Amino acid sequence: MGTYRQQPGSSSGGQRRDGKRVAGKQVFPPPGSGGSHPTMRPRDLNFIPETVGGNEPKPAGDHIHDRDRTGTTVGKPTALVDSNAKVTGQAWYGDDVRLPGELIGKILRSPHHYARIKSIDTSRVEALPGVIAVATGEDAPNRFGVLPVTKDEHAMAVEKVRHVGDLVACVAAVDEATAIQALSLFDIEWEELEPVFDPKKGLEDVDEPIHWRGKYHLARTNVQKRVFQEFGDRSLVSSPTASSHGSWTMNGVHHGFTEPHAVVAHWDPNGRLQLYTPQQVPHYTHRALSTVLDVPMHQINVVRTFVGGGFGGKSDPFPHEMCAAILARRSGRPVRITFDREEVYWINRGRHPSHIDVKMTADDDGRISGFDIDALIDGGGFASFGHVTSYYNGVLATAPYELGSFHYTGARVWTNKPASGAMRGHGAVNTRCAVEVGLDEMAEQLAVDPIDLRLANLLPPHSRTISGFRITSNGMREALEKVREGSNWDEKFRQLPLGKGIGIGCGFFISGSGLPIHWDPKNFPHATVHIQVDMDGGVTVHTGAADIGQGSTTAVAQVVAEVLALPIEMIHVRSHESDTSPVDLGSYSSRVTFMNANAAIRAAIGIRDQLLKAAWEMLGYHPNVLVLNDRRIYYKHDPAIGVSYLQALHKAQEDTGALIARGAYRSPPMGGVHKGAAAGLAPAYSFSAYVAEVDVDVETGRVSCTNVWAAHDCGKALNPLAVAGQIIGSCHMGLGQVISEKMVYGRTGHLQNANLLEYKIPSVHEMPHVEPIIVESSDPEGPFGAKEAGEGPLLPILPAVVNAVYDAVGVRLRDLPLTPDIVFKGIEKHMKRLKIDDPEDLPCPRLEHGPLQPTLVERSNEHRIRDQRRQRSEDTSAYVNGVLFGFDPNVPLADQVEGWREADEPLPDQLAELGFAGRAWLKKEQRHMGGES
Amino acid sequence: MLMPPFELHHPVSVEEAVALASDLLQRGEAFDWVAGGTDVLPNYKWRINTKPHVISLAKVVEAHDMTSTSIGCTVTIERLVSSPDAHPLLAEAGAKIASSLIRRTATVGGNLCLDTRCFWYNQSEDWRRSIDWCHKADCGTGADCRVIPNQNTLCVATYQGDLAPNLMALEAKVVLVGPQGQRTIPLVEFYELDGMKKNTLAEGEFLLRVELPEDASQRVGSYQKLRVRESWDFPEAGVAASWIPGDVGSLRIATTALESIPRTHVEEVEAHLGGNGNKVDVKALAVSIQKSVKPVNNTALPPAYRRKMVRVLTKRALSALGDLG
Repeated sequence: MGTYRQQPGSSSGGQRRDGKRVAGKQVFPPPGSGGSHPTMRPRDLNFIPETVGGNEPKPAGDHIHDRDRTGTTVGKPTALVDSNAKVTGQAWYGDDVRLPGELIGKILRSPHHYARIKSIDTSRVEALPGVIAVATGEDAPNRFGVLPVTKDEHAMAVEKVRHVGDLVACVAAVDEATAIQALSLFDIEWEELEPVFDPKKGLEDVDEPIHWRGKYHLARTNVQKRVFQEFGDRSLVSSPTASSHGSWTMNGVHHGFTEPHAVVAHWDPNGRLQLYTPQQVPHYTHRALSTVLDVPMHQINVVRTFVGGGFGGKSDPFPHEMCAAILARRSGRPVRITFDREEVYWINRGRHPSHIDVKMTADDDGRISGFDIDALIDGGGFASFGHVTSYYNGVLATAPYELGSFHYTGARVWTNKPASGAMRGHGAVNTRCAVEVGLDEMAEQLAVDPIDLRLANLLPPHSRTISGFRITSNGMREALEKVREGSNWDEKFRQLPLGKGIGIGCGFFISGSGLPIHWDPKNFPHATVHIQVDMDGGVTVHTGAADIGQGSTTAVAQVVAEVLALPIEMIHVRSHESDTSPVDLGSYSSRVTFMNANAAIRAAIGIRDQLLKAAWEMLGYHPNVLVLNDRRIYYKHDPAIGVSYLQALHKAQEDTGALIARGAYRSPPMGGVHKGAAAGLAPAYSFSAYVAEVDVDVETGRVSCTNVWAAHDCGKALNPLAVAGQIIGSCHMGLGQVISEKMVYGRTGHLQNANLLEYKIPSVHEMPHVEPIIVESSDPEGPFGAKEAGEGPLLPILPAVVNAVYDAVGVRLRDLPLTPDIVFKGIEKHMKRLKIDDPEDLPCPRLEHGPLQPTLVERSNEHRIRDQRRQRSEDTSAYVNGVLFGFDPNVPLADQVEGWREADEPLPDQLAELGFAGRAWLKKEQRHMGGES
Repeated sequence: MLMPPFELHHPVSVEEAVALASDLLQRGEAFDWVAGGTDVLPNYKWRINTKPHVISLAKVVEAHDMTSTSIGCTVTIERLVSSPDAHPLLAEAGAKIASSLIRRTATVGGNLCLDTRCFWYNQSEDWRRSIDWCHKADCGTGADCRVIPNQNTLCVATYQGDLAPNLMALEAKVVLVGPQGQRTIPLVEFYELDGMKKNTLAEGEFLLRVELPEDASQRVGSYQKLRVRESWDFPEAGVAASWIPGDVGSLRIATTALESIPRTHVEEVEAHLGGNGNKVDVKALAVSIQKSVKPVNNTALPPAYRRKMVRVLTKRALSALGDLG
């Protein structure tokens, strides 16, 4: 023990200029501020929570991970660990993978919207010199799909093609020119079928539905999924004081990621498949490859390359990945397939084109008595994530407001267009926009400020939504208050001159899907992280978390560095190969940081415990009184007594070799029992509020967004730099959907703008100044309190802009995007109504507060106190949606209110009055039709 | 994306370029001229009307010359924007073309000879096959026009260049060179109302330079461009106007991106000059120009909207000119 005792020196003099110590003459900093090594950084108390002796404020109270904080990196702006590779051009994306002897694969695509393939003759293709392998749908008859319940895709069309651009066949040739030439040599006999483009027609019975689901097929329609959900007391909506009814048409939008899809497949000499692909969800590709190729999963290694942007568009297992594998198997050589931009649009998986009908009501107390949402979403040719999207369009609108009742009907239909899928803000974006604009309209009818209307109707922290979601931390109120203050709202709203407007919008999103797609609670947790530390002290972290540019690798490195008090440069994250990384369910539903960082913390604690145990042996002090700081472990009350990190490490691995630890995360059981209760369940939810300022050119209808104040509750910003980046990036992406981006399907059903010139992503000129405001509500289950920041921040920008346009010109628009022609048309109609000739004479909306305004302010003041108490766990009583309406949270609501209902199917007498998508409930499944079809 | 193979020629003088063109014509070989390539190459990548030969003007020395009254065809838009010799109206219009990166490559000649555009046409080969081709690139099938079916005589693809209306408003002439020699014609006569033929260039002829009249420097002008984004986008409608301040008789207005050709609006201007002494009835003039154009549905924004915007753009262009009375 004495060996490690370092003699304290005198407090003055004895220091060398070069920083090296003079024996016995070392100056020691005060206890707790650092160890004895002169190069050691003192403990950064500003980043150690006040609950464990630091200076970092914790207004929401203590957190389970507070004692694991070392002040190393969490909460500090940190450059992404892979940024050097990216800025020097050394990051290897899908198309950068070059294997010796590679062939170039090309895909033959359907020229028809909907057609039966009667025959394919490949003989002329095979005869072309330079063509090494050819494959068609027959070569891969096994179906796959991202969701196990809706596997409706093939590697290449089997029997039918379902949209222009659908995969028909593929070739591998010695070079690209030969492969392109080969595509013109296929001889195919087609039988064209009657296509469907209009999703409204998708509800009708047709001769040849796009897919056939056997006994589960809904009559002979093209309905892929229908949803009905009803909660609460519907009698509350009967005589509303204010109401809003909006019919929305939202065009489909695409992710517009920079990197087109690219894949390289190679069967190694042992017959194992090595597949290189920029995937958000390598594990599902892994599963799908196994199914399609009839090869066990352990004979496949999926290598995730760097991903040049995904946003949901690279989260399905893709047919071209199958094609590359099939061609490589057939040719015995590596095959590379890289998409053109047009092919990227044809594989699509962007946001669903949607018709959304929202009716909302408020009572004379300014309480929101009902949401009635009907969403018809256009799925295109395949199911993709659509089953989930169908639910999300409704259920993700059940918070952050307390509702008297909630009614949702949704239907997703197949049409002969490229498949829609998951895109940043999955399923929540369009409905959220409709709902937030409806609130704005109701606030106007009630003559109250729309921010106060929201503040007086928020669910508190630690509550249950009307549909049964468990809300934990909730920073909604703080977000609203901060943007109100930051934007100077009270001096601008309804007071700006014509053509200038300001608007508010909120958001609510899941932070990790509580019941992920392929999750099998009996077999594996949500996320697993392995850590290995060898004698050199470097920490290797194995995770399957797919970094798609959002910074998940950095987040994992940060939390490990934080727990072990090591510089982040000593943490090496290995996450590319399925051979070496534990199973991870992928980068979707904003789950990665929440779940992987939680798993990484646990694994890092495992390593820390081994190090502390060794230090205990060496120093004789129990781990409870040992401190980790910057590569040192020392006695809390006398930092002179300590060992270096390496000394402890070497001691710890004396008998065992490299230290190994693993950690996992599993979310707690949650949710109700009704059908679809799992959709939208998450261990935590993020909240956001944005205020947008716009200029509208009243003569041309051109909208430009000039300023955005963007507050997002991410629980705890592990890396504020990355959170701000996500907020600003989300603003850009959401702004695209609200002002200029749309997938245009012309009168013939063809996608008219499958390129980046005509698909109009906002340029730097359209980008407003964004002020990111980070709200930290400290989630009890999040890693160090963190929640998601990748998707939620996109939601509020849409309604904020739409509401700001109304503030500017007095026109409510419900067709997205608000391209100049749409806005102009709205202004023209408005002028006609008002009998005005010159748009410069348009009146601006103005607000005179009504009698309800003080009531709302008073209520929100009371609720602020309620929320603070609940957030700090000073009040741990139950709170369920409905308390605002006078219900007792401790008694089941159905026992208190006669009309209270929790339903997943319409009552017979409701059938006649369902919304458009709801009419899917008029149809019967084949198994219930008894022969009539 | 891979372009189909073609032979690229690099003449260094006008004579050599013309000789090359004559030679190819005699051999019956089709070819395209290329300068910056920002229009030709994307079309080649999409395999739209590609040719086995391409003659580049990049190394033709005279084509780079620029003075205040003469602009060579390979002068880049960026040079036009930043050169003190350029007319302010051309600098203004140039700065609204595409993006700063593209402007460093794109040329004045290329912008004037820009291929007409249409969303049934500016698409990949696979895409055009899926609509069974179109009139303008029918691949030998005799396909119909997809914008206005069943007319099959005229291509209605839209001319979306930005410089042409501005040069027209400055009364520019163009110098054309070819196997038949050199000729100079007013720019307003350069274009031909057919989205396929586009202009009056004879076989083997190319646009060598643009010439401005001596009094162009006295002209003050304005260019108003309608587009969705402030960068990249071609005009959805464009109105250029110029005059010699104080002389309403010198007022010239030209429009672009509304039809297959850019054009001047002499009649409309004249109709609103007279009668009222020396004053221009801006409001009525704007309406009459709006009425004179007939956009079709083949660009990003709907034609009815683009047409209505012509009035607003004209009004704004004119109000930027100063006091028209």
